[in-house]
Amino acid sequence: MSLASQNARSMINFLFLVTLLIYLAAGIFQTLSLAIGNRSEASVIRPAIEQIAFWCTIIGFAFLSVFIALWWLQQGHFPMTHWTDSTAFFAWAITLVYLLIVRLTHLRTLGSFVMPVAFIAILISYSFATHTAALPEPLQNYWLLAHTTLIFLAYAAFIAAFGFGLMYLIAERKIRKKTDALFDNLLPSLGTSDELGYRCTILGVILLTMGVIVGSLWTQYIRDVPWRWLDAKVISTLVTWFIYVAQIGIRQFWGWHGRRAAYAAIIGFVAVLCTYVGVDLFLDSMHTYR
Amino acid sequence: MNHIVSIGTSHHVAPIEFRERLAFSEEQLIESFQHFRESDQVQEAVILSTCNRVEVYAVLNSVRTAEAVAKVLVEFLSRCHRIDMESLKKWTYLQHNVETIRHLFRVTSSLDSMVVGESQILGQVKDAYDTSRSAGSTGTILNRLFTKAFSVGKRIRSETTITTGAVSISYAAVELAKKIFNTLEGKTVAIIGAGEMSELTAKHLVANGVSNVIVANRTYERAVNVAQKFDGIPLAYDSDLNFLIDADIVISSTNAPDYLIKRQPLAKIMRKRKHRYMFLIDIAVPRDIEPDVNKLDHAFLYNIDDLEAVVASNLKDRQQEATRAEQIVSEETKRFYDQLQIFQVNPTIKALHQQFREIADTELQACFYKATLSDQQEEVIASMTQAIVKKLLHHPMQNLRCAVNDGDADHGQYVQALQELFALDVNDE
Repeated sequence: MSLASQNARSMINFLFLVTLLIYLAAGIFQTLSLAIGNRSEASVIRPAIEQIAFWCTIIGFAFLSVFIALWWLQQGHFPMTHWTDSTAFFAWAITLVYLLIVRLTHLRTLGSFVMPVAFIAILISYSFATHTAALPEPLQNYWLLAHTTLIFLAYAAFIAAFGFGLMYLIAERKIRKKTDALFDNLLPSLGTSDELGYRCTILGVILLTMGVIVGSLWTQYIRDVPWRWLDAKVISTLVTWFIYVAQIGIRQFWGWHGRRAAYAAIIGFVAVLCTYVGVDLFLDSMHTYR
Repeated sequence: MNHIVSIGTSHHVAPIEFRERLAFSEEQLIESFQHFRESDQVQEAVILSTCNRVEVYAVLNSVRTAEAVAKVLVEFLSRCHRIDMESLKKWTYLQHNVETIRHLFRVTSSLDSMVVGESQILGQVKDAYDTSRSAGSTGTILNRLFTKAFSVGKRIRSETTITTGAVSISYAAVELAKKIFNTLEGKTVAIIGAGEMSELTAKHLVANGVSNVIVANRTYERAVNVAQKFDGIPLAYDSDLNFLIDADIVISSTNAPDYLIKRQPLAKIMRKRKHRYMFLIDIAVPRDIEPDVNKLDHAFLYNIDDLEAVVASNLKDRQQEATRAEQIVSEETKRFYDQLQIFQVNPTIKALHQQFREIADTELQACFYKATLSDQQEEVIASMTQAIVKKLLHHPMQNLRCAVNDGDADHGQYVQALQELFALDVNDE
């Protein structure tokens, strides 16, 4: 390896470390701002903490984008072969969707639930950093980019729905228990959490459907890599897809919403994790990250 | 020295009968401002007259003792409202300097209000100040004081939460509804039975966006009577509760001895309304709604005790926050008073410096006129005189500033003495 490329590599690593720390800060401050609430002695500093958390999120997102771009340039193809690539991109997608939701709804509280997930993703990515795996030549094309981007954005939307589900359950618990701390929470109303969670689910299903379609079209163009339809990842993805589609259908036809929808969002989240991580760890699949 | 004083009465010290006698009418306000403008003793004044308090804030000049101050103001009120001095002395309070500042800060922060944290008082003080200012009865000191008081009021509202949290049952119900529904727009409230509390709650809900009101009563006429107030739909019911299918918020306050809304029938209704959220408020005693209703998905039941607990907890929070607010008031009072002292002493210091410098300059010119000196010699002598002036003034000025900074009560006398001994003409502006 040449000296120049070694320097570049260490620079990228340093950038990644900084990104990791910023994400850690974002996660901590976000959780802290929710924990403080708006009724306690410390409530004076809460807006400041929330502000810090939000800026950490934005700066962290910018750093992560730069990192992925540099990593892409260095590898010469869209980085999506190793765990380090995939989890970094996962965190990127989660943050992107979160920032879009904040832009539309101003509900920064969601960050207290999704930013820790993003941080864990980056932590995993960082612990594998500098690992690369060769991507077979025939897979190096825009199909890969389109397919994975769609799937990961779908995952991110499902994680946002999961966040809203948790927010719903916590808020409902407070209202039901009639606790004194009824108004000290910064959570949105039940109706809002429920509605936004549902919208995230719909968005996720649309993206996932598109991702799967792109993926299956892609198979038509691959000749050199053997393709099996009964791939573990494919089956698992279809199960996840079905879980979410069923949620939407039941809600539309039987009016299931609120607490049940929140539980469904959590089940969906588990399914996403199984599809994303579980299949790779325990089953054999051609989608496996190395 | 100027004296900042306030005289007044409030719900803390006087009954309403006295407060209404002391309240200022439009004409009385105009007359009073006229009186202040012509007065030699009253330099500046602001009159605050609301239903809970009547207060006059004034800056008095050339009045030395507290008794004299009291006399000026009590006489003014007595003349203006034709109230005998005795009852004025009994029902009013009089505050001086620091106390006045602290009092005004507490008033604008609504710490002195009947309901701590109420939001109206800041606007009322602003209006009173604007009226007084446009009548030309305020000056530098009260302008500074009131501007500061508004910023203290705002600071306390933003740094503490004394203004948040409903402190009445009807508002608590509105806040709860906002925690459940994503919006109150387009929602329907059903009032079952009649009663002041349920009407008030419905009124607040409508003010916060609820669009439709259903009024259900056992007798149709009564329902019509109440429904008129809200432009609502009157309804007579006996045992059929199907009108609840359209109701998002239910307020029940009937005299029924048994539960009117039970879990099983309501479960059916919830199915029919596709499990949209329902917020039930039971303010009847004995209760109208079976407690188990709260176990139904998407149905939330609060009875009168639950709502009172919410209000009590909010009041407790406000009380805690009020302690923090008092700290802020103390801090700001001290800071403002110190600034004011320096601000009041500065003209005297300036005048003294100027007088000394002028004397030195005159004498220098005379000296240069008599003796023929080179430029360099003139320069040396000039700088020597300057140094003498500076050194002569050094200790008195330093001690005066120290007295001010230490909060020494005597510094007023120092300033007075300086002004008189040196025949200073001090202009406050």
